[in-house]
Amino acid sequence: MNGGTPSTFEFLGLTFNVGNMISILIACAVVLGLVYALSRHLTMKPGKGQNVLEYAVDFTNGIVNSSIPGSTSKFLGLWGFSLFMFIIIANLQGLFLHIDVSGVAYVKSPTSDPVVTMTLSLMTMTLAQFLGIRKLGYKGHFANYLKPFVFFLPINLFEEFTNFLTLGLRLFGNILSGEMLLGIIVGMSHGGPVIWIGAFVLELLWTGFSVFIGCIQAYVFVTLSSVYISRKIELED
Amino acid sequence: MFSYSIVGAQLYVGDMLFVMISFLVLMWLIKIIAWKPITKMMQNRSDKIANDIDSAKESRTKAAQLAEQRQTELQKTREDANGIINAAKQSGQQQGEKIVEDARNEASNLKSSAEKDIEQQRQEALANSRKDVASLSIEIASKIISKELNADDQKGLVDSYIEGLGKHK
Repeated sequence: MNGGTPSTFEFLGLTFNVGNMISILIACAVVLGLVYALSRHLTMKPGKGQNVLEYAVDFTNGIVNSSIPGSTSKFLGLWGFSLFMFIIIANLQGLFLHIDVSGVAYVKSPTSDPVVTMTLSLMTMTLAQFLGIRKLGYKGHFANYLKPFVFFLPINLFEEFTNFLTLGLRLFGNILSGEMLLGIIVGMSHGGPVIWIGAFVLELLWTGFSVFIGCIQAYVFVTLSSVYISRKIELED
Repeated sequence: MFSYSIVGAQLYVGDMLFVMISFLVLMWLIKIIAWKPITKMMQNRSDKIANDIDSAKESRTKAAQLAEQRQTELQKTREDANGIINAAKQSGQQQGEKIVEDARNEASNLKSSAEKDIEQQRQEALANSRKDVASLSIEIASKIISKELNADDQKGLVDSYIEGLGKHK
């Protein structure tokens, strides 16, 4: 909930949000712990944890390879896997653990903050530009903005911007709305025992739906990122 | 300082840096902890499966070859056995025939020698009886007739008589 003024501090002239930092660190720690626990005792014949990890790797590799077939997929596989794991854990984190201190959220879903999602989106767009230039060269890359013909330049530039914006805001909006509604339901439950039971059922349903939304959004984010990158590394006709 | 308002929330540049850095570090750690070993393992496994498929194909063709070879060898062995049995049968038959032939020859030999013996004995008996009859008849005749008839004449008479008997026979 973004109800109160977030607690911030300034360092080297940059403003930091403590709640975001804590949430991001927790999400990273959970992802690392999960991946670490699942990747112990790797064998040729996979055990339970290894199967789960390999399924996840296959899943993200499938997402990335379906839009970007070719040699760049090796690095992009790691990128897609990390992105997917981070976003899915970040999406679900706020549903399990949400700590507010006098209206200021200290532990929540990092992805319910637009700054975080827009940063992820920005990283994707930067990566797309970088890979495009590396694959096609400066000339080929920027010539793509002039296709199908020169007058498309403003449209193409605008499209880059909207891609960046929608990619980040879609994730942010979905997760924020989920957390916000959960907060409202929790606020409702203070009315009395009957309302409490109703709110409990409602919250249970909404949490389940939010888990679903969180997973879908992680998948959508990685898929769209792969599509944006794939469009940058091939010459348009 | 660098804080602006965007979609109703504050834009903290420090947070952006923090997200970027933490995500990159996360990616790097994932690469070290899990990504490299798991992709290596998956690669190894796919290599092994490919190898296994190849070697399975190889061993299957080898097995088929062996089976064919065994079949031909079996066929050959059967033929050999048949040949041996046939040869044995044939030689057995030959031997049997030879034994029978030998037996027959021996029997006929024995028979002919027995016949010869019998003939000889008959001749001897005949000769003896001739001699006996001659001397007996001489005695009888000399006793009955007591006439002048010498033994030589008498013998000639008896001989001619007995010869006549033999011819009758």
